[in-house]
Amino acid sequence: MKCLRFAIFSLGGIAIGVLSAQAQQIPDLTVGNYKVQFHAFASQGYAYTNDNNWLTMNTSDGSAAMTDFGVNATVQLNDKLRIGAQFYDRNIGHLGQWSPEFDWGFADYRVKDWLGFRGGKVKTVLGLYNDTQDLDFLHTFAFLPQSVYPTDLRDSTIAHTGGDVYGTISAKKAGSFAYTLYAGHREDSPYGGYPYYLKDVGIDFSSYGGLQYGTDLRWNTPVAGLTVGASGMKENITGTGTSTIFGPPTPYAEHSKNDTTDQFYGEYVHGNLRLDTEYRRYLRDQDIFNNAGDIYTDTRGWYGAAAYRISKRFELGGYYSRFTSAYTTNIFGSTGASLDTSIPGNHIFDKVLCVRFDATSFWNVKLEGHFMNGNDSTGEYPDGFYNGVNPNGFKPNTIAFVARTGVNF
Amino acid sequence: MRTPTIALFTACLGLSLAAAVHAEDFKVIANESVETSAVSLDDLKSVFLETKAQLGSGHVVPVLEKAGPAHAAFLKDCLAKSDTALSTYYRSLVFTGKGTLPKALASDSDVVDFVSKTKGAIGYVSPSAASSSVKTLEVK
Repeated sequence: MKCLRFAIFSLGGIAIGVLSAQAQQIPDLTVGNYKVQFHAFASQGYAYTNDNNWLTMNTSDGSAAMTDFGVNATVQLNDKLRIGAQFYDRNIGHLGQWSPEFDWGFADYRVKDWLGFRGGKVKTVLGLYNDTQDLDFLHTFAFLPQSVYPTDLRDSTIAHTGGDVYGTISAKKAGSFAYTLYAGHREDSPYGGYPYYLKDVGIDFSSYGGLQYGTDLRWNTPVAGLTVGASGMKENITGTGTSTIFGPPTPYAEHSKNDTTDQFYGEYVHGNLRLDTEYRRYLRDQDIFNNAGDIYTDTRGWYGAAAYRISKRFELGGYYSRFTSAYTTNIFGSTGASLDTSIPGNHIFDKVLCVRFDATSFWNVKLEGHFMNGNDSTGEYPDGFYNGVNPNGFKPNTIAFVARTGVNF
Repeated sequence: MRTPTIALFTACLGLSLAAAVHAEDFKVIANESVETSAVSLDDLKSVFLETKAQLGSGHVVPVLEKAGPAHAAFLKDCLAKSDTALSTYYRSLVFTGKGTLPKALASDSDVVDFVSKTKGAIGYVSPSAASSSVKTLEVK
């Protein structure tokens, strides 16, 4: 049955690929004096785990509930002004639930190479891949390192409604510097990982979001192919909804006291070889239960990844991803803590191998193995493993097999 | 320990800079509206990676060839990216809204024709390609 299901999705992928091939021939649409570029992508995945259901899917039975797609249009109105928008939808286990969202849409006005402005809903620049994390076809891997780019928590960083100031400054023989400053409002989907995590304990959010501001600075060094950078983000988030933890539904609210993300990264590309590494620390200090308590979470993640394109069609890659989580709580005068990140409940260490096959320039297939130790099950902020789909508890180790195919034009 | 590290870094830096300056296998052409007559390899790279939209005070529009020896040389000597990596790069711009897909044309003559007719266009062709209708930029 599982093989049949995967075969059906593979055939579906081929069909989409063929349609995509047709779409490649579609020229820009001319509207008045303007040329409008249309692009789209879609991916379908299948995941199987030997133990522990992963990413809200029933992966221990094998799950093909891993689909996403997006479509966008962009038009350059004049030399300096460009506008565009993209819609995105996903269904990954309990995440997304086919609830389409306005992914990005903004006006981009570039005054000079060193000074540009974006206004609207903008993908947030944070590290190497935050703004492209949904775009499976850009990456070697079926899943980016979950320690830094958790698929279930993409809403928390993916975009802000507000504005960016950006630019690139040449430093002559020292290379160039690209900067982005941003501020705006983040609004999470009700079908993200954190709302799903809290629903299991009796908290149902009606809204979750708030101010997000930060900066990214990356140095394109004079060493060919070497880029290093740093990003920082502060947030002031409020979640409101209802709680049934103590019986009948009562209003519930939580908000940030301090919410800080720092990220450092480096990438080196030489010929067909790509190496990259990133470190992210997310400090999350929240007032919870309508200011009756406080929870302080310190999550840290890093990874080292390598990928090598062995031919036009094949690419091999692997990464080691390491995530730890520790917390202290003070709720209704009762304190608690879980600070030992060596226990499986407070970490996820993931070794990954992947092979990517590019059937055409617009259709790829990936096969990937994850060898995970830990599940972050005792942490107070999720990362991939949830009680809701693991009602019988967690095993310390998980082996996952992922197949994913994607098209784009 | 520190001296070998510095020496290795210096050697890498020197090799990287030395490897990036030969452009005999392509020539850079531009529409007559482009104000400059010479362009540095770094600026050329920035234009084609869409981090630079101006040469002098004028707006420029990069144009690619889809394949061929000039395209291969340009990727290697100027952009230091493979065809796949360049395609991935452009798609990362397109799907985040931070850029558009440049025009990619099939032949030298198509590129020359497009550049000659498009204000601000800048492209590359084989050194032997006929290009009397456009200006040739010196690569510094």
